[in-house]
Amino acid sequence: MTLLSAQLMIDVAHQAAFGALAACGFGVLFNFDWLSLIRCSALGALALAVRTFALAGGWSLEAASFSAALAAGAAVALAAPERGEGADMVALAGCIPMVPGAFFGKAILGLFALTAPAPAHPEETAIFAIVAMTRVILTLGAIGAGLAIPSQISRHAGF
Amino acid sequence: MSAAADPVVLRHRDLEKIANAALRVGRVLMECGGRVSVVRAGMRLIAQGLGADVVGERVGYASLTLTVGSGEETITRMIDVGAHGVNYRLDVAVRRYATLVAREGGAPQEVNETIDRLARETPHYPLWLVAPATGLACAAFGRLLGVDWPAFLPIFLAGGVGQWIRAKLRERGTNACLIAALVAFVAGVVGGFGARAAGSASAEMAVIASTLLLVPGVPATNAQTDIMEGFPTVGSARAISVAMIMVFATIGIWGAEAVLGLLP
Repeated sequence: MTLLSAQLMIDVAHQAAFGALAACGFGVLFNFDWLSLIRCSALGALALAVRTFALAGGWSLEAASFSAALAAGAAVALAAPERGEGADMVALAGCIPMVPGAFFGKAILGLFALTAPAPAHPEETAIFAIVAMTRVILTLGAIGAGLAIPSQISRHAGF
Repeated sequence: MSAAADPVVLRHRDLEKIANAALRVGRVLMECGGRVSVVRAGMRLIAQGLGADVVGERVGYASLTLTVGSGEETITRMIDVGAHGVNYRLDVAVRRYATLVAREGGAPQEVNETIDRLARETPHYPLWLVAPATGLACAAFGRLLGVDWPAFLPIFLAGGVGQWIRAKLRERGTNACLIAALVAFVAGVVGGFGARAAGSASAEMAVIASTLLLVPGVPATNAQTDIMEGFPTVGSARAISVAMIMVFATIGIWGAEAVLGLLP
């Protein structure tokens, strides 16, 4: 149990660190100022840590992504209510590392494979592509809903 | 009565200037990645701050329409929206300015000049910083996806090269879907070859991680929020655009995997 917990902590630290790095990189791409870069990095770390804990607890990727986005959105709503809706974009940048772009690529590549003249294992490939696409849609929806709920409830004072 | 002395014509001219100034603010907000509710609020704040009533507004994916009025007089104007992107600092600066105009008032000419100045002077990071930062984001994304350490530097390099190419193609006005396919192909080939050369066992995932700079996360989330907030037309348009970008990016990935011999 102790070993398992230590491994989980290492996993959480790894995912949080690289979640922060990825969010920071996207923050530069989105032209965030330095303070917002720090904030979105912290939110990226928070989101990935929550998602990793949830996945370790046996949750699905979709449920884990929802809880992680909810945590990031709630952190922004509670910590920076005066900053207006611009703060929502910082929360969103923190959640970008959870966007399932790799799943989407795999889904489309699976569909491409089905168009081959003689596809190998077409049933398995089709199921794989459908499952991957379904997970993309549901995970994106989960992230969007998780971010939107705190924002809609808190209704920022600013613009 | 001459047109110059007609109070109705004069009032229409004033309203036209107010509508055009508000539309310019809305356009900047839309092009910076703002949601429909943000764009509408920005236009409304400016129009009301300049002394007009907002009768109605319509936010489309490629154009904005605004009707402003004063008493019995109304006027409707429309403006095109350019390429959608994300520019946080400009977005925040314009929002703050819209709030200021709503509170303290101003003149349409002053609003136009300020918006031009903000667009010109709001700082942005140089490409020599944005490209490696994007590469770092891709490499970190790769680690989150389980890519091994030998592939980290190749993905960093590939993501940086991809962002550099994307910026240069955007400057030339290349179609966004073509950019997605080209960038995905080049970044995928660089990342895949590099990962193999570095002895990585996850070259296929390195190809995908190298192209993750293309994932349109902000428009994808905005699409959902717009639909949730009662603007399904723009939300649907955004969702379709996201899907198209991803399809073209996947074509690039497919080409890279073919070059690398990774296709089944």
